[in-house]
Amino acid sequence: MNKTKRIVILSLMVAQALVLSLIESWIPLPSPVPGVKLGLANIITVTVIIFYGFKDALSVVLVRCILSSIFGGGFTGFFFSMAGGILSTIVMYVLYSRGSKVFSIIGISIAGAVAHNIGQTIIASFVMKDVAIFMILPVLLISGVVMGFFVGLCSSFLERTLRNSKIFT
Amino acid sequence: MRKEFILFVIVLVTISVSACDKLETQFDKNSTNVPYENEDFAMGTIISQRIYDNNAEEISKKVMDKIREIEDKMTINKSGGEIDKLNASAGIDFVELNEDAIYVLEKAKEFSKISNGAFDVMVGPLVKEWGVFSDNPSIPSAKKIEDLLSLVNYEDVIIDKSISKAKLRKKSQVVDLGGIAKGFAGDKAIELYREHKVNSAFINIGGNIVLLGSKPDGSLWKVGVRNPTGPEGTYIGVISAKDKAIVSSGDYQRYFEKDGVRYHHIIDPRTGYPADSGLIGTTVISDLSIDADALSTATFVLGLEKGMDLIEELEGVEAVFITKDKKIYITKGLSSSFKFEDDNNEYEYVEKR
Amino acid sequence: MSMNMLKKGDIILLGIIAAAIVISFAVVSTYKRSGKDTDKVAVIKMKDEIIKSIDLSTVSQPQQIEISGKYIQVILVERGRIRFLDADCPDKICVNTAWLSEKGDMAVCIPNSTMIKIEGQSDKVDAVTH
Repeated sequence: MNKTKRIVILSLMVAQALVLSLIESWIPLPSPVPGVKLGLANIITVTVIIFYGFKDALSVVLVRCILSSIFGGGFTGFFFSMAGGILSTIVMYVLYSRGSKVFSIIGISIAGAVAHNIGQTIIASFVMKDVAIFMILPVLLISGVVMGFFVGLCSSFLERTLRNSKIFT
Repeated sequence: MRKEFILFVIVLVTISVSACDKLETQFDKNSTNVPYENEDFAMGTIISQRIYDNNAEEISKKVMDKIREIEDKMTINKSGGEIDKLNASAGIDFVELNEDAIYVLEKAKEFSKISNGAFDVMVGPLVKEWGVFSDNPSIPSAKKIEDLLSLVNYEDVIIDKSISKAKLRKKSQVVDLGGIAKGFAGDKAIELYREHKVNSAFINIGGNIVLLGSKPDGSLWKVGVRNPTGPEGTYIGVISAKDKAIVSSGDYQRYFEKDGVRYHHIIDPRTGYPADSGLIGTTVISDLSIDADALSTATFVLGLEKGMDLIEELEGVEAVFITKDKKIYITKGLSSSFKFEDDNNEYEYVEKR
Repeated sequence: MSMNMLKKGDIILLGIIAAAIVISFAVVSTYKRSGKDTDKVAVIKMKDEIIKSIDLSTVSQPQQIEISGKYIQVILVERGRIRFLDADCPDKICVNTAWLSEKGDMAVCIPNSTMIKIEGQSDKVDAVTH
């Protein structure tokens, strides 16, 4: 695949991730604690890991975080989503590259969502200067499993479609 | 590709570091989620403060200093204060007052007027005679009360703002700021918090609660309304609010008993006897605590019907009324922020009047 | 559809996460409970000075403390609770306040400028207007 095509496709991925975050912000999610999110943009992260690998996935995540904070997330939101995004990309990549035989896309995605929430909580505890924020961790872990499952399901469908479309060849 | 990636990381780190700088200012260095609490005695009562700020201790001390300064100026239980001098010169001469005292006197006159004398800043002679605040209270004779009633008239406070002086028209007249000075002190405390860039705090001056902002997590403060017949600290409902003053008056605050009759400390300036309006407690919520303080006394004296009418007339003021027959009434504007809570099923909450 | 099916590693992964959830719940709930039982410190103040500070969870036997200022007051301390037992002040509001056992609970004697408070904040109300 030539370089230009690669850049174009990655840019499209960023754009789609942003649109997914936007759509996500329209879906009200009743939650007793802050930080519970669908994490739809993770579908893109998983897809890029599968088709391009770690570096590109990380680039997509970082660019997405920067742009979405410019579009209205604010600095705090930027740090939270960046910390979560980096940690979840690392975890998902390691699981995918070392263990794609034992882990399904759904499993990888669940691990990613959980890692995302843990990363966010760590950053939040630093920013708030308060360890009490870890009190919400159990809820965030559960929501990570549920949302991760959903995202994984979407990602595996998407993977099949994209492989058939031969867009990445 | 490798070079590009490294470059990309460098750019990111730069952005992050500069963002960090902004983050630091966004999360004000002084704000904290850890409360500082302090209790102290002044103005004849206990004053509690809860401040969320890294300089909270210092600020709370400044607030106490300010409150003691106000107390010294406005008390009539010690000599030497401005209001004490005003009383001493009653019927004789004008006395020079500082702007705080002038402001409080004007406010007191204003509320005396709109309550038609149910709150009267000149109630001093009666309060002194009953001695509810002294160690040996007694019931004055009917004759004595009748004599003293002629001295109670808020219109006899003559304020000349241009020369910053005031005078009481007749000899023996006594201005008593007991029903309003604590309210004023509450407003001054909030002013000081603001000056020190505090975002979240409250002060409790003997049951007058004045709230600054909301709690650090953005949620509303929860203020219990004292159960007038229960022990100290029990409440019959909870008001959720921010940036408001919440002040109560009740027959449970100070009283003495003689021959099985309870005489409480809120004297009706129109009759000369402790107010007997059918209410045992009122709570007023408004922006300024000086207003809430005067209005809680006024409504307690006026009773349910007239008190309710007075509050509904005023903009941005709400109230809770508790009657002798244990019914609780609230003004319309309070329905969403008042939660009735009575574990003993002792009281009845009357939703609509 | 093989990608959709859960694999062996997924089961292990879910097991680990489930364990993490259980452990974090346990930690949080013990933390919450410990916060309620311990750190229950009663502070006795006169004017703005702390006379005595007592960790109520470590009180093994009931004890009485006498404080004298303008009036004489007797404080009774038991495990987990504290109160003014008796006082010779005129209004006895402090004695009528009864037991203090929750964070934020307070008993005050204005004539004697004394108070007992259990450090911390009540999770029910921030203050009571009276």
